Amino acid sequence: MAEAGRNLGLAAWVWVLIAALAVFELVAHPMIREATPSDESWNAAAAFVRAQYQPSDRIVGAPAWLDPIVRNRLGDLLSLRMAAPPDAAGIDRLWELSIRGAGSRDEPPALEEEFDGVHVRMWSLPGDALIYDFVEEISGAKVELVVADRSKACPWVAARQAPGGLERGPMTPRERFVCDPRRPWLWVGATVVADLELQPRRCIWQHPAGPDPVRAIFTDVPLGDRLLIRGAIDYQTERRRAHSPVTLRVWINDQLAAELVHEDGDGWSGLEIDTAELPREPAIVRFETTADDPDSRLFCWSASSVRSRRSEGGSDE
Amino acid sequence: MNDARALNGRDHLIGAALCIGYLLLLFGTASDLAMSRDESFYVHAAKNAANWISQLFADPSSALKQDSIDRAWRYNWEHPAWMKLSFAWSWLAQKHLDLFPNESLAFRFPGMLTAALLLWLIYAWGASVMRREGALFAALAFASMPRVFYHSHLACFDIPIAFFVTLTAYAYWRSLADRRWVPWLGLIFGLALATKHNSWILPGIFLIHFLWLRRDQARSGQSERASIAWLPSMLLLGPLVLIGTWPWLWHDTGRRLLAYASFHLRHVHYTYEYLGINYFEPPLPISVPFVMTLLTVSLTVLALCLLGLYDRRAELRPPWLTKPRTRNDRRTEVLWFGCLLAPLFVIALPSTPIFGGTKHWITSYPFLALFAGLGLVALVERAEVSSWMGRRWPTWAFAALCLLPAALQTAHSHPFGLSHYTPLAGGVPGAADLGMNRQFWGFTSGSLVDWIAERLPDGGSVWTCDTTHGSWAMMQRDGLIPSNIRAEASMSAADLVLVHHEAHFAEVDYQAWVAFGSVQPVYVLQYDGVPIISVYENPARPER
Repeated sequence: MAEAGRNLGLAAWVWVLIAALAVFELVAHPMIREATPSDESWNAAAAFVRAQYQPSDRIVGAPAWLDPIVRNRLGDLLSLRMAAPPDAAGIDRLWELSIRGAGSRDEPPALEEEFDGVHVRMWSLPGDALIYDFVEEISGAKVELVVADRSKACPWVAARQAPGGLERGPMTPRERFVCDPRRPWLWVGATVVADLELQPRRCIWQHPAGPDPVRAIFTDVPLGDRLLIRGAIDYQTERRRAHSPVTLRVWINDQLAAELVHEDGDGWSGLEIDTAELPREPAIVRFETTADDPDSRLFCWSASSVRSRRSEGGSDE
Repeated sequence: MNDARALNGRDHLIGAALCIGYLLLLFGTASDLAMSRDESFYVHAAKNAANWISQLFADPSSALKQDSIDRAWRYNWEHPAWMKLSFAWSWLAQKHLDLFPNESLAFRFPGMLTAALLLWLIYAWGASVMRREGALFAALAFASMPRVFYHSHLACFDIPIAFFVTLTAYAYWRSLADRRWVPWLGLIFGLALATKHNSWILPGIFLIHFLWLRRDQARSGQSERASIAWLPSMLLLGPLVLIGTWPWLWHDTGRRLLAYASFHLRHVHYTYEYLGINYFEPPLPISVPFVMTLLTVSLTVLALCLLGLYDRRAELRPPWLTKPRTRNDRRTEVLWFGCLLAPLFVIALPSTPIFGGTKHWITSYPFLALFAGLGLVALVERAEVSSWMGRRWPTWAFAALCLLPAALQTAHSHPFGLSHYTPLAGGVPGAADLGMNRQFWGFTSGSLVDWIAERLPDGGSVWTCDTTHGSWAMMQRDGLIPSNIRAEASMSAADLVLVHHEAHFAEVDYQAWVAFGSVQPVYVLQYDGVPIISVYENPARPER
């Protein structure tokens, strides 16, 4: 009898527990939906950022999946470099629009405002000053393909763009250097690659042709304190970690300045070249890509000539 | 739990009401869903099959020649024919009798019918062994799983195979007590084989159950033991039905059967985001089917399922760990448990190709729902809910309370079924935070048709991302999208570019940026504040 009573009591508690679970679901579901910021909140937050925007500002969403909504409101303010930064140079301030308590940085912001569910924060970033972005200057470069020790110039042309789509690689820009129409991947131009973390990176596509180099030569390059060199293979092929390394050699005024060997799995990675001691005259900088086996080497690189803020005489103070 | 109670007219009335009600609900909501990627392939295959059927009637000898068969059946040879034939017959009926309001519904009707019949079957099987309240709860709990509701609309094989797997299990169960069911079992298993390869594991599940049962019967000294006649019936009739319904196998049978098996055993790996990691090669974490079930099925239903399992734990103990049983039963719980767990385990195996979507283990959900029904019955009986007030309505009210979260979530999940996650995940935004797969198949474009039609009033072109051109054409034939808005193959030539947000589609987003020189989508389709599709507009398009 006592055991029957205990069982009944336990069953009643379980009954209450299950009913409570149902109530939890019933209450939680609309609460989650209610927590979604309204259009008015987004508009107010976007207007606030827009009013204080400067061209060297970067704007992001937090959590990262929010980014399309942020770009929908403020994307017209963002260049491809700011949306897909190859490095931190030239970014003076970071704006973050976040929801649900998410955040991309731990430091206290310089500015903070709440718009009914959309949280706006801004940080001043003590980054390097960008004095020359090789990616944006690619149309003024000279590109050549070396075959059997002879170099062949690749013309800058307006050509048909790729159709786009999953596993089609980075989009071909409308204007680019075309080195061999029979090898449609053998072009050089500015695009955006998805790196191993699926992050966008503004860069110059320079697929190696094999052991003989593909060259991009930039003249009249203002040198600062450093050259920031980055590179990666497109996500869809790099993630398989199945192909040979790509070598990017950087020559400054015909002197080999650095060699970046990119292996699958390295992701968006690179090196820095100290140019502080070089003469301050405009330089000729040459980038050469090679690979023992060029199969699936969808290599894309970026370079920024930067000056440290400190050497600018405290201009950001 | 009864071994079996004979169903009466009232039971079948309830089953029929469930069936018809669900069918009407699916009919009424189907046009909100663009044809999914795979549907468009099966529609193409079904049209080929329909043409072949027409040829068969017009010129049988020519239709039966290998080149005619190969021409009709080579496309989508990797899937058996039964549902494609059903889609084809339904489409032919539409062509000749104009039965459906639009073409996509004609193709989707057979799949919807299997979803509706499955509710009847769940109720009927449940009502055979438990109180009606539990059986009805099980059927409704299954119907109101958001992803089940989504898949129930489609001209695909996932809900049909859930129906045929459950029906095969039911026929096997009946055949253990009534040998008249033995040939039916073979035929039904054949239809399961002819629907999808999920059915391959059924003989193994039944064999384990059967050995369990025989051991049980031997220990209890029963003279009349279950017959194994079901096994030859399945192994003989099943393949015959598979081959008989699939003309592709009528020539070069052995090689094509091997190619079919090999295709699925060495299936290409889908890219699938799970807990923030984008998997593209095995092993997928063992937890995937379990966690996905936890985060996409109502927590209350899952809790009742666990309660049902706990309540029947004594029946699930192996025979050698229990006292010999005095009563003769078919160990229904063991059979259900096997059918519940096996599909989950198959997907969880480290060697299994990466599939990801809940649809790949959806065959276990009818049994999950049945155990939830058992849990509900056990709880109301043990808590003596009815006796508190001397009336039955508290039991029904409790059942309704337990179903309500699932029903509301399902209503809210439409038309974003594959993007939906339960409150346990934090809902759709919570799942996005967790890094869970947001969608696949491109069906969410159906939610954009009004916006696109308004944006392109004089027609234009759309780069449709994961929505196939076949799906787009179907939306045009259905009248959902104007015929002067065409699908464009080249991103840079399109007026609008769609990007379906799935982790590995990030590269497509970036392609659109470069194609148009802008990172600003003109519109973002959202579900509970989470981006589903970004739409980019070609800057070369004249200003409106």
